[in-house]
Amino acid sequence: MDKLIIEATRSSPALEFDAETGRLSIKGESYPENAAAFYAPVFAWLKEFLAGLASGAAVQVDLQILYLNSSSTKVMLNFLDLLEQAAQSGASVTVNWHYDPDNEAILECGQDLSEELEAVMFNMVGQTGNLS
Amino acid sequence: MKDFDLVRLRDDLSERGILMILSGPFSHSIVEEFGNAVRHYLENAQLSRTAMMDVFAVYVEQAQNVGNYLRRWESEPHGARIINSGIVIIARDGERYVISSGNLLAPQDVAPLTARLEQLRALDKMGLKALHKEKLRQPLNEWGSGGLGLIQMARKAAAPLQYALTTVDEWVFFTLRVMI
Repeated sequence: MDKLIIEATRSSPALEFDAETGRLSIKGESYPENAAAFYAPVFAWLKEFLAGLASGAAVQVDLQILYLNSSSTKVMLNFLDLLEQAAQSGASVTVNWHYDPDNEAILECGQDLSEELEAVMFNMVGQTGNLS
Repeated sequence: MKDFDLVRLRDDLSERGILMILSGPFSHSIVEEFGNAVRHYLENAQLSRTAMMDVFAVYVEQAQNVGNYLRRWESEPHGARIINSGIVIIARDGERYVISSGNLLAPQDVAPLTARLEQLRALDKMGLKALHKEKLRQPLNEWGSGGLGLIQMARKAAAPLQYALTTVDEWVFFTLRVMI
């Protein structure tokens, strides 16, 4: 399966998804004009990847988000829901939510999203300085 | 041109604490560019990162709400007046920042919007968090909105959301005011 690589723009994040290593990363800001359209290819890739996952496989997701608008927050929950389903089915899924402690909105957003998940291992990772 | 007095206009803006105004077309690229300018301005004003991102977030939600609503009227024969009615203002009020947006609404869109605003105005922080959790799971509608934007603004705001309605011919001008 090919890697999914999407370059960042001012209003959309950089994505790098590698099926071989099981590492997915999303970095940057998300307030695209149409969040559903922007993330459609991302969901297509993720669904194919999760469908082909060997039982007990490990997936590591690094989210380093500076800003999510309201529609991107919904999309992010849908994204995490797919990972939650995979984790419920036996995959070992870790999500690292990297945040700048000086940006309370992103800390709160991570907390809101983590409340929606059970089987996913969700880590809040505070890092000062190097996220902008 | 005799009534077009920029000195008076500039003084008026300054007296009202108005720092930046976006008025005119609300295309996505303009919303992005203006948002970038807002962030640069606030960085230079040495605002804390949390406050800066809260002002930016409220600006984005307001500008995208205005833009999304105006775009619905693009193919309507009587839509031209609505399409050009949008405005977003960033102002300073003492130690606070105030982000306001305005646009014309069709009369039938007023009641559903004010009902939602009254619901939000009646909720405290815990109530807003619970409503946010509930709405987070509702799918995006055909305009790409999910009903979360106003709740997120209310959660960031230092005071309940304020709004005003002004009748303009057969339309209603809606103003939303959010204090950070």
